[in-house]
Amino acid sequence: MRGSYLRMKLHCLDRKFFHSSPSLAPIQLPSPMETHLWYVIPSEVKSKALLNQFLDILSPCEKENVFQMRGEEPRKRALLARALVRTTIARYQINSQVSPRSLRFRKNIHGKPELEWQFSDHWLSPPLHFNISHTSSLVACGVTVNSQIGIDVEEKNRTIKHNILSFARRYFSKDEVQFLADILDPEIQRQEFVKLWTLKEAYVKALGKGFSGAPFKTFTIRYNGGGGVNPLENLNCEAQEIVVDTSDEPIELTNNWQFELLELAGSHYAAICMENNFSSEGKRTVPVKLTVWKTIPFLEEECVSGTDAVKTISGSK
Amino acid sequence: MASATASSVSFTSLSSSLKKNQVSHLKKVSVSFGGKSFKPVPLRFRVACAAKPETVEKVCEIVRKQLALPADSAITGESKFASLGADSLDTVEIVMGLEEEFEISVEEESAQSITTVQEAADMIEKLKE
Repeated sequence: MRGSYLRMKLHCLDRKFFHSSPSLAPIQLPSPMETHLWYVIPSEVKSKALLNQFLDILSPCEKENVFQMRGEEPRKRALLARALVRTTIARYQINSQVSPRSLRFRKNIHGKPELEWQFSDHWLSPPLHFNISHTSSLVACGVTVNSQIGIDVEEKNRTIKHNILSFARRYFSKDEVQFLADILDPEIQRQEFVKLWTLKEAYVKALGKGFSGAPFKTFTIRYNGGGGVNPLENLNCEAQEIVVDTSDEPIELTNNWQFELLELAGSHYAAICMENNFSSEGKRTVPVKLTVWKTIPFLEEECVSGTDAVKTISGSK
Repeated sequence: MASATASSVSFTSLSSSLKKNQVSHLKKVSVSFGGKSFKPVPLRFRVACAAKPETVEKVCEIVRKQLALPADSAITGESKFASLGADSLDTVEIVMGLEEEFEISVEEESAQSITTVQEAADMIEKLKE
């Protein structure tokens, strides 16, 4: 991915790539309590010219981070992550001069990346929130309006070096350890471990306080089946609600967070955690509308909601 | 060099009593000054000298193993976990591996601030003394 690739003949590509900033089709903002999820499969992005277009919209700092990665594939993933965020957010700015390159980002007090809004550009736009996650084979970006969001993706067949229960005893809550320990089939135990990890990560990322702001041991994520049914019997049941209990906060306060757990692209578990600002009295959760697109920025997109690429495992209905 | 806030004592005279390459976390030093003896306020400062090479080497080994990196891949003190391809789950496993190898316990606050091999080695030495 060096500058010399710009000299490559672009005969295979759409002529629009000759422009310094390729055009982006605008998209409608998510409504409140709606989540948009965008993902890229790195192995499908092969064009070096396209990768250079992505590089071109990054800030100097982001470029530096990309080149600090060891190896071509990790560099490509880091590049795709930033390009996905910038192009996606720019597309929501329908009425302004915002381009992917002009977006500014900063970190909140705990280090969570967020958008820095420039007054002149789009003071009329509602605040967009986003969160990124990636594995070696998928890069994802979740977007909401007016609501904190955290996402985490992991490969379904992810394994860990340590024994699962040893790891859980060290980092997870007692209830979560018990939940995992009760699963006798090692493969199902491993799957449930990965799902639980993604949910816990998504929650911490949504909170935006960093790993130490919400130590994993201090909260429990569990499946809430109706009517006292044993959650284990209802694994993979869509009716299951996912809830978080924290040991140091009263239960009422934890109603604010809602979760979705999906199987994405057939290969990944994806957990989305978002703030619920709209719970009416007596109702714990509000149905969250989720729309998912598979995309290659500047090139193509496909709405995959309702297809096999997106399978809800648990969450609010 | 640092000096205690309550006095103008400088610690340069104590440097000879510190072992070479030891992390200088001066906790139990009492200084006699003008007849009064008092404990200096606790000082925290990063020492420029590195953690023991053996510690750095062991950390490299644990990182290499966790990330399944080839034996000839260059990992040094400056190597960032993220740049080597570690995601959050890998980093947590690395910390757990360090806890097991060095028989220490790392709190979340400390774990979060470790991003390089050197930082991990420095933290280990600090916890071991």
